[in-house]
Amino acid sequence: MALAPLDGAITLDQLSSDPYPIYRRLRAESPVLRVASTGRTLLTKAALTKAVKDNPELFSSDDPQTPMKPAFRAHTLMRKDGKAHFVERKAISKALTPKRIKADWGPLYEQLAEDYIARLPRGETVDLFTDLCGPLAARILAHILGIPEASDEQMMRWSQLLIDGAGNFGWKPEPFAASDAANDEMDALFAELEPIRRGEPDGSAYSLMLTADDPIPMSQIHANIKIAIGGGINEPRDALATILYGLLTNPDQLAEVRAQEAWDKAFEEGIRWVAPIQASSRLVTEDTELGGFDIPKGDTVMTIQASANRDEELYEDGESFFVFRDKNPHQAFGNGPHHCAGAHVARRTVGKIILPMLFDRFPNMTLPNPEDVVWKGFGFRGPINLPVVLN
Amino acid sequence: MIKVTYVAHDGTETVIEAEEGTSVMQAAVSNDVEGIVGECGGSMMCATCHCYVDEAWEARTGQRSDDEDEMLEGAASEVTERSRLSCQIKLDPSLDGLVVHLPEEQL
Ligand code: HEM
Ligand code: FES
Repeated sequence: MALAPLDGAITLDQLSSDPYPIYRRLRAESPVLRVASTGRTLLTKAALTKAVKDNPELFSSDDPQTPMKPAFRAHTLMRKDGKAHFVERKAISKALTPKRIKADWGPLYEQLAEDYIARLPRGETVDLFTDLCGPLAARILAHILGIPEASDEQMMRWSQLLIDGAGNFGWKPEPFAASDAANDEMDALFAELEPIRRGEPDGSAYSLMLTADDPIPMSQIHANIKIAIGGGINEPRDALATILYGLLTNPDQLAEVRAQEAWDKAFEEGIRWVAPIQASSRLVTEDTELGGFDIPKGDTVMTIQASANRDEELYEDGESFFVFRDKNPHQAFGNGPHHCAGAHVARRTVGKIILPMLFDRFPNMTLPNPEDVVWKGFGFRGPINLPVVLN
Repeated sequence: MIKVTYVAHDGTETVIEAEEGTSVMQAAVSNDVEGIVGECGGSMMCATCHCYVDEAWEARTGQRSDDEDEMLEGAASEVTERSRLSCQIKLDPSLDGLVVHLPEEQL
């Protein structure tokens, strides 16, 4: 067999500004393609991305060369496999189960959402991306994690700096200097809060990890909280903005969602349509084969779940936002052992609480100029503004 | 082939023929049985493949492991003595005819 074809034309700028026409072409012409500008082999069909994520022995998350290590000052669970991954994952996932979220945290989430939505001015144009999506996601997460003493501004800034550091594939010094400063701030706060979360267990992630029978090392407790900060703010923020865009630009669907109270379906469709995490990387551990091409050991493959989510083999007219699909087997939360640990939190908070509450308070909300909304991102993607009129 | 019956929360029965060696979760997902989600593909990370093994089959499906127990704790619907993560039940000929009941919700 031959190596996958090599593309020298696709640029990172193109992938960041509008990747979807490119992915559509690749699904039809070259679902396994080495893209020079990314230094990776891009996989754009759903069967391929799922097969890779479901096979962690052959496609490892453990990449020794990842800039994630300096950015988080730790080797985190996202970049571990097997038992080592399982142990750390179990430690945090106890705080994120459907049961805990529904029974123990539900009322608090509702209160937080109510507070933040109540602050929005009626009758004015408001950028919901900056004024609601980000801060509310940050506040909810701060409580789940057991660090509500951190401000919204800190949570959002830390998150962004961790992500920027983790994506610093050019290994420039500045992003690491910035993530180092953020790590110092986080470590100081975690240390300050430790005796309280240990002494008065409150069911938060930090508290549960500290008081577990057989706790994981302190360094990994910190790393786990940082991973959740890095992975738990921008995604629900972008998901919310994307869903709002989809509903406000499709008023007929919005009316039907309201009538059926199908907010959970709207949530799933939003993250299918524009996946907040568009791509993930896996390191190839043995010579293998994908889609009829040789994939050598040491290669890095990139699963493009953004593209898998529009695969013609699974979806009719996947390019359109359409809430009432018969089936929606999207991969926006990933697959396999690294399947998003926060999926239940995101579904509950965004889909079951925030969306209905927002439309209940502002039933005539509009997006007068959808063409002003700017979409951005290759690895992570969503609108970066959402100017709506609240009524 | 091994016959498996899935009884949905509303009583609807779906009968499928599955290959030996697959799990009760995989068999459901590949046959589009509603009520089993199985998001993590069987890595015991999601608890969206929760099922209740029918009383008659309890002895034959075996015990749940400690890890499975812990993951089940977080399932969306009520967990009972007969609760299992269906990704952890591998189908072999001794399970031909297996009946499992599905919970009200998985998410
Ligand atoms: C709509 C919102 C969200 C989306 C679309 C999303 C998506 C994802 C995806 C695709 C992965 C897998 C990455 C990979 O395979 O390498 C992931 C992992 C993860 N997510 Fe989320 N996420 C969301 C919200 C959250 C929230 C709210 C939290 C925290 C409470 C969170 C915590 C995590 C963690 C800890 C991991 C790492 C899991 C592991 O490696 O085992 N996510 N997420
Ligand atoms: S499929 Fe995820 S726990 Fe069984």
